Amino acid sequence: MRTVIKGLLLCLAGVIAMPVQALNIFACEPEWAALARQLAPDATVFSATHAYQDPHYIEARPSLIARLRRADIAFCSGAELEAGWLPALQQRAADPAVRDGLPGMVYAADIVSTIEKHQVSLVGRGHVHAQGNPHLHLDPERVEDIAKAFSQRLQRIDSDNADLYQQALATWHAHWKKKKLQWRQQSLILRDQQIVVQHTTFSYLWRWLRMKPVADLEPSPGVPPTLSHLDGLVTALKDKQPRAIVYNWYQSEKSPRWLAEKTGLPLLSLPSTVSKKDGIETLEQLFDHLIAQLRTTVQ
Amino acid sequence: MKLKVLAAALAMVSVQASAQDNTPRISATIDAYYKSDNSALGGREEGFGLGHTELSIQHRFADLLDARLTAVAEWNDEEHGADVEEAYLETLQLPAGFTLKAGRFLADLGYLNAQHTHADNFAERPSVYRAFLGGHYYDDGLALRALLPTDIFWQLSAAVFTGDHLGAFESGSTVGAWTLSTKLGDDIDESQSWQAGVSYLRNRMELHAEHEDEDDHDEHAGHSHGAAYAGEHLYIADAVWKWSPSGNNKSEQLTLATEYFRVTDITDEAGAGHHDGWYASAVYRFATEWSLGLRYGDLDVRQEHEEGEFEDAGLKETTVMLAWNPAHTQTVRLQYTHQNADELSGEDNTVLLQYLISFGAHDAHSY
Repeated sequence: MRTVIKGLLLCLAGVIAMPVQALNIFACEPEWAALARQLAPDATVFSATHAYQDPHYIEARPSLIARLRRADIAFCSGAELEAGWLPALQQRAADPAVRDGLPGMVYAADIVSTIEKHQVSLVGRGHVHAQGNPHLHLDPERVEDIAKAFSQRLQRIDSDNADLYQQALATWHAHWKKKKLQWRQQSLILRDQQIVVQHTTFSYLWRWLRMKPVADLEPSPGVPPTLSHLDGLVTALKDKQPRAIVYNWYQSEKSPRWLAEKTGLPLLSLPSTVSKKDGIETLEQLFDHLIAQLRTTVQ
Repeated sequence: MKLKVLAAALAMVSVQASAQDNTPRISATIDAYYKSDNSALGGREEGFGLGHTELSIQHRFADLLDARLTAVAEWNDEEHGADVEEAYLETLQLPAGFTLKAGRFLADLGYLNAQHTHADNFAERPSVYRAFLGGHYYDDGLALRALLPTDIFWQLSAAVFTGDHLGAFESGSTVGAWTLSTKLGDDIDESQSWQAGVSYLRNRMELHAEHEDEDDHDEHAGHSHGAAYAGEHLYIADAVWKWSPSGNNKSEQLTLATEYFRVTDITDEAGAGHHDGWYASAVYRFATEWSLGLRYGDLDVRQEHEEGEFEDAGLKETTVMLAWNPAHTQTVRLQYTHQNADELSGEDNTVLLQYLISFGAHDAHSY
């Protein structure tokens, strides 16, 4: 009997002592989920998309609505990247915490500036980002600012654990600064090298590495490659010396392969974000991987 | 009556609010078509015409309320008219996953009813919708929705309506109709997802004055003809399954959907029987700009040909469609329908060509 009571008391103590429920973080893209895991180690983090998905085109599926419903904080790219699906999720999820303009809704593009702002035409040519390129996580400098701002939001929303978030940020930041120096060193040989791209996914990375995208397989951002445009590229690329044709894991190999065959250029498929099943779990590992892959094309 | 006044007042508020706003979200959709012949149970009129052509204004008030006003116009050789199909306010800040909606809006019934028709995969709604809901059912009322904090998606919805848009019935009481529905959904893996639901509509209007005739459009100025076949109770079960490679639905997706409708207590008289029907559809997007669809529907209704005398009538319908989306704001759709009607008037074969174009800030399509 005594042991039973003791056991019950222990259970009760366990329930009472249990920390406040872990923070629920909804990330629109895997890169922000990865960063959130580092900045909020105790949180439950969910990524709405994965590396093999095009984040521009996601269906507002029931599972995503249910996930957002339970989120304390949502972490997204913004700049209209999720314009096709996030508003629908917010509306259906009926979660007042993650409405636009509230501390629980974090858009990376609201924290830092964007590049490549375009005019929007009335009848769309693909998806044009009037608010600039949303693939901000591929710039190590911008990531730093975004991490700081995200950590501040965590501290504000879950103020009881503010110290914890501050510590996590400090640890992450120290490591990030070291990695940045290393990447700079490693990418010296990439400087001024030319590449052919498909879509503006890696624009921030090219700038940071000081590489030169000389042609885009897409006639304009978001418009799939057309045969006439590709034909034009074959001629246009004759007097240039790009090192490779770079495309994304989630993109079809068809157009880059066609151009590679016509021009004799090597193909390079790169992940635009983290992917656990491919051994790239953090943004540090992503940059390590990208720079290592790019180095193989110039060696 | 109170409900109607309240709904009207709210509609007025939402109209005024939209007009005052600095940055209302405005969208317009034009739906132009040509149809070779009239088919059984309505849908579109033959010849050239404008289908569900709509202008929609949305506005958000201080993160407290969303307002929406949607005006719809239709035009064809037989008739033309305009109507306000949505004029509602929706709460944004209720706790515990609750949303309250008031005004005029599309009822949460079945898979398709709450969706805007221009998002449909076929140019005409399935025969069960045309027969039992007049294509789509919207009305003045109040609705409460709750999204439960469960791992899988689980939504509950309840609403009361005036019932005025159910059809040409005599008004019974303030609450002419009420609905209940629930939806569940989740992912199976990265490529597959599903949603299933059951809904119920209680029709409290005076059904006995009803004398429906699907060819009689004269008394309606608008496009809403109400239900051709009604009963006190309408039950709907629906299920949708979608597949796309690794969850990339842009250039490849398969959507299977099916719904079953059953209408009971169609009259006070014993032995009148019930109406029911179902459809199943498959839509395959095989390239970014192209999709192909097939739909089969079967409808069994009881038709009153003399006072108190009922006989079976039915409609089997097969539809094939091919859609081309040169841009995500435009659709050209070619549709062929074969009908096998029993005691219902309409052509055996119809061909329909539809062109849809939308402007402005248009909503993300729902699942």
